[in-house]
Amino acid sequence: MKIEAPRKYVIDNLKYALNPASIAVVGASRYNGKVGYKVIEGLNKWGYKGIIYPVNPRAEKVHGLKAYKTIIDIPGEVDLVFIAVPAHMVKMILEHSVAKKAKIVVIATSAFKEIGRGKLQDELTQYCRDNKLPLIGPNLVGMGSPYLNFNCGFIPYLPKPGPVAMISQSGANLLAALGTSQMWNFGMSFFVGLGNKADVDFSEFIAYAAQDEHTHCLAIYSEGIDCPEAFVKACKEVVPYKPVVAIKVGGSKIGLKAAFAHTASENQGTTNALYDDLFEKAGAIRATTWQEFLDISLALGMQPALKDDNVVMITNGGGSGLLSCDHFERCGMPMRELNQISPMLAARIRAYMPMFGSPLNPVDIAGTASPKNYKGAITQAVRDPNVSAIYGSICPTSVTDVPAVTQIYIDIYNQNKHLGKPFIMECQGGEECQESIMKLRAAGIPAYPTAEQAVNAIVALRQYAKIRERMGK
Amino acid sequence: MAEKTSPDYTLGTEGQLKWKNKYFFGPKGIGFSEPGIVGLDDAKMSAYNVAKSSYQIHPDVFNMDYLSKVTGIDKKEIIRRMHRMYNDRLIVFVMNPAVQVYGWGLYYWFVKLRKEATREQKQELSDWFQRKDDICTGYECSEGDFDFYNGNHMRVLDNLLSSVIEPWRTTYPVEFVHLCPICRDIRESHINMWDALSDQYRNNYWGKDQLEKLAKIQNKMDLTDLKIFKALNDKRSVAELFDFNVLSKISGLNPKDMEDGIKELVETKRIIVPLFYLNFEKLGIKQHMFVVRMFQITPSYRKCEIMDELANLSEFNLVKQFADAFYDGVFFAYDEISDINALREKIQSYAEVEEIKEAIIPKMYRRWVCRLDDANDFWEECVFTDDFLEDRTDKNSSVYCPLIGKGK
Repeated sequence: MKIEAPRKYVIDNLKYALNPASIAVVGASRYNGKVGYKVIEGLNKWGYKGIIYPVNPRAEKVHGLKAYKTIIDIPGEVDLVFIAVPAHMVKMILEHSVAKKAKIVVIATSAFKEIGRGKLQDELTQYCRDNKLPLIGPNLVGMGSPYLNFNCGFIPYLPKPGPVAMISQSGANLLAALGTSQMWNFGMSFFVGLGNKADVDFSEFIAYAAQDEHTHCLAIYSEGIDCPEAFVKACKEVVPYKPVVAIKVGGSKIGLKAAFAHTASENQGTTNALYDDLFEKAGAIRATTWQEFLDISLALGMQPALKDDNVVMITNGGGSGLLSCDHFERCGMPMRELNQISPMLAARIRAYMPMFGSPLNPVDIAGTASPKNYKGAITQAVRDPNVSAIYGSICPTSVTDVPAVTQIYIDIYNQNKHLGKPFIMECQGGEECQESIMKLRAAGIPAYPTAEQAVNAIVALRQYAKIRERMGK
Repeated sequence: MAEKTSPDYTLGTEGQLKWKNKYFFGPKGIGFSEPGIVGLDDAKMSAYNVAKSSYQIHPDVFNMDYLSKVTGIDKKEIIRRMHRMYNDRLIVFVMNPAVQVYGWGLYYWFVKLRKEATREQKQELSDWFQRKDDICTGYECSEGDFDFYNGNHMRVLDNLLSSVIEPWRTTYPVEFVHLCPICRDIRESHINMWDALSDQYRNNYWGKDQLEKLAKIQNKMDLTDLKIFKALNDKRSVAELFDFNVLSKISGLNPKDMEDGIKELVETKRIIVPLFYLNFEKLGIKQHMFVVRMFQITPSYRKCEIMDELANLSEFNLVKQFADAFYDGVFFAYDEISDINALREKIQSYAEVEEIKEAIIPKMYRRWVCRLDDANDFWEECVFTDDFLEDRTDKNSSVYCPLIGKGK
């Protein structure tokens, strides 16, 4: 249901969704295959330290914990109520939650507006609003934070800790992001599924993320933004300090219907151009594909904004350089030659490459490049005051020492972090490259397996700087 | 190729009769795209589903005005008693879906262990049956001609044999397993089902003075409790079973829609029967089971007539007819409050009856898919049990069905 601006009582209570002292799991099940079982299993497995109250009127115990017939029967205070019962029970549970003075409710249950029960969903939402009880969902997968060892929902694992707050309407795509986190060291500060977002809106989680110390970039997956004013307001508050990346799906002809059937998102009458305008107004960076969404979120979470176009690419592969410079141009940010950036830089870098290398930009230090060549070329570039960003690239040949180059890149980054120049890396190749990417990401350097992904990341860093300039920061 | 429209053979309609003119067998195997089929989470099921999920804390989802009127007891007292009966695991609200009407296989099977079987072996098997979710209804016998009597609804007979029977059939001292497909589900838990004679559908059967006798021989439910229990199951419009305003208050769903939906399913389509189950094990009483075989020369129609005539004996709280099996029917009566000899004599009075086997049942594992497993804290845990949409021919599946063989 629509809101005009993020509500304070909601933002204040969102902390109970991600760091509750106590949780009532309504629909806590004794059977392994049921959601209500998995929720408690996940909480225990990932080290939740608060109190869990299983609620199940049929059971004496669930997971060895005393079960309560209703929330009202719970003796202690309840911060978070996680609801995993059929839709027809939700109204009563909400009434019990209000009576219990719970701080927030999360409804995992489906079968509301997305199947035509819009009126019921609205009535329940209004009831929660009347009682100042924030409601997340319905129709969602869960939420959590690796910093708090908190995994609440039917989510198989926690992501790696990192800078990106993942706020997603889709549970499936949220899980995909969590999988990426495991496989590719995509670090998250917290994650949350919003589902139908009947009550708690994107804007309120944006405002929450603004205050979250671990969040340095907000990644928003949306199937429809039905409170655009609130979205813009919230983004404008946060964007000067933390970038917002948004992906909006459901814009195709059949996607309109699919988005409604999935999360009851209403896109009739909207266009891609309308969303372009909305994101522009909000200062959010719009991603088109899922991969781009993840790639640029990671870069914006790890690296500072890029103040100008003076990016120097240092690679041992001319092919990756070509892929990169073509893609830069396609993105409207053509690369500048070294002599345009800094008159003497080419000559200085020349010393670290064979005669058949190319000190243009991309700087091709050739396939025979040793760790010493990389170190010299990168150091020259980063120490040049006219250079604003370093874009490294490894294309493993049989003489390339990928781990050594990786370590050199990390060392130089750490030594020069104070300069505020973004470092990006591309490692295109096999297993050793994936290991390198994982290591670089763990060190805070966004690294990617393809040139285009790396370029997208750099372009986004530049875009963010422009957005901040526009906002007077 | 243009898709053909499915013929409308909705159960109980002219269309079904027309279908039967062409095919003398009914449509077999449920598919949600088939006419007349209703999923368990369909909106028409809402009244049942809301009541089932909430009566444990809100007994007033049932029609207290009606109960108060027929029992002469104050509504608050009825609610108090229902709370107690539920909390003491004496009653549970369940429903029987007409799986065989849908065309699913409904198979029951009798198990007899060899004499050398130890008490421990029987207990192990009992525990296995209790845990096995594929078994939708099951009983343990304490004495008599059988040791177990269990049931499944399965689409594929191979799955029953492979997943449910084969795991223990050759590793335990089993004398026999007799498979008995149900052809008519006439009465269960005192209530007549869809295969009873049409005008007797949903009749509630208790023998003369049985409630009074039951009240006297145990101390968990008094006569007032039993009257409430019986009134909940007594035949009337299903609309009078529930308080739709309470259901609506709990769920937010429209009371009229819920009423119309449940009436259609229970009264028009006759594909589910909601009822309260009495936990006889908890009351300390036993079922006496008669398993009847008729001579093979007995015509089918006559077998049906005999089953219906015997079903008129109101002491029988369960009556089922089998087909393609060693036995033709099964009857249950409470051992302690029925005249077992008279019932036996009545069955024997039919010249068509070749043999009666008997057993005593002190324990029931599940009432349909609802676990009656208080001992393991699985009371009223409901697990949908069948092989619907499963491919058990897939060798990589956890439920791979090699029928009988080495398996994976």
